[in-house]
Amino acid sequence: MDLDKLRKTAAEVVSRDDVKYLIGWRPGSYGYRVAPGFVEEASAAETLIFSPLCTINLATYLTLTEKLPLPRGSAPDQRKVALMVKGCDSRAVLQLLVEKGIRRDQVLLIGCPCPGVVDTALLSLKYPETESPADLKWNGDHFLLRQDGQETAIPRLSVLAEKCRLCRYPNPVISDITLGEPVEAQLTAEDSAVAEVEAMELGARAAYWEEWFSRCLRCYACRNSCPLCYCRDCVLDRLNPTWVNRAVNFSENTAFHVARAFHLVGRCIECGECERVCPANIPLGRLNRKLAREVREQYGHEPGIDPDGKPFQAGFKPDDPEEFIL
Amino acid sequence: MSQQFEPNIVAFLCNWCSYAGADLAGTSRVRYPANLQAIRVMCSGRVNPLYVMNALQQGADGVLISGCHPGDCHYMEGNFHARRRLGMLKELLEFVGVDPRRFHMSWVSASEGHKWKEVVEKTVEDARAAGPFEGFRRRRIDW
Repeated sequence: MDLDKLRKTAAEVVSRDDVKYLIGWRPGSYGYRVAPGFVEEASAAETLIFSPLCTINLATYLTLTEKLPLPRGSAPDQRKVALMVKGCDSRAVLQLLVEKGIRRDQVLLIGCPCPGVVDTALLSLKYPETESPADLKWNGDHFLLRQDGQETAIPRLSVLAEKCRLCRYPNPVISDITLGEPVEAQLTAEDSAVAEVEAMELGARAAYWEEWFSRCLRCYACRNSCPLCYCRDCVLDRLNPTWVNRAVNFSENTAFHVARAFHLVGRCIECGECERVCPANIPLGRLNRKLAREVREQYGHEPGIDPDGKPFQAGFKPDDPEEFIL
Repeated sequence: MSQQFEPNIVAFLCNWCSYAGADLAGTSRVRYPANLQAIRVMCSGRVNPLYVMNALQQGADGVLISGCHPGDCHYMEGNFHARRRLGMLKELLEFVGVDPRRFHMSWVSASEGHKWKEVVEKTVEDARAAGPFEGFRRRRIDW
């Protein structure tokens, strides 16, 4: 990916009259960190980057925007928000469009074909993070890490994020401007993590999830970082009726995680944000990917692919599977 | 203590078919297990998956959801929606380690008193075989 081209395009986009601001990635404060960059002026586009460290799914910020009440007599700002998207992020945006969470004329998408990002936690475990900012580049089946004047080649598969090993859509499925050349989908692994849990005995599976769910702090980071959890009035926050009690214990945590996973049935686009942000490292991606796979196999529905599709849970087919019904 | 374990079943019955079906079973003096707590809802499509979670949290050993046959829904398509949603819920519950025998769904029409009996017998039998539900049941703390 040519950074100059990216910055030039970003500057051009931001200077357009119909664009409010652009959301992209910029280097974070130290080491491998990457932060979302909100670019409002063309000169600020110089800070933007796109590298294997850009794991954040920026589609979340589309629905997080605060909508303050307007002063009397003023018209709402109808300008677009420009957004840089990877393959998985673009699916999130498309799913948002399908659900009418946002309007198409509200966004301008800059697609970045993505050969796969790193798992930052895994990377800093294997190649300890230092204070100085690091730069990571794609280079065939290696990542080139440049930090403190040294250059290290890291085998791609050793630090590749789990979601990218399972990625089927590396190229943006929807975009207005595409940067760089499309990359080939390289499914490097079967979903062994889900299969591993499925292969367990029922009791072992219950014990497995009990261990993980008991660790949950109920910080709701998984919900807040999810691009598709954007209900203004979330069932998990409600007090009347209290769907899920606020007590932090195994029982309520299970109800919370089942509710969260269930609300993403047929909507999860497997961007892995929930898992990445979890401070307790709960393998939430397994829950989501299991359900996404069942939806794909049993109902032939895949979220975030078809712009004219219908939301999975809002529709039905007369011949939906019903073997489980007595 | 030689008594057999009697499971608690929570049943969500649709107002138009299954509740009437259960009523018919009652008026026609059909005997079926009494482990069932029937909750009448207007449609099986009204059953929120969190109801099921809540029932299991609060001490149910099994959950049964029953509605009209596909195509017979009073609200045209409520049970189709329920089928899709609850089918996925069943997958999810099984994945997090809940015995699949604890969760059942059935279609019982208002004239199927005898089918209702069979459904209840099967549900109770399965829940009994699965034993008391301890999983993520809410535990009271006695201070």
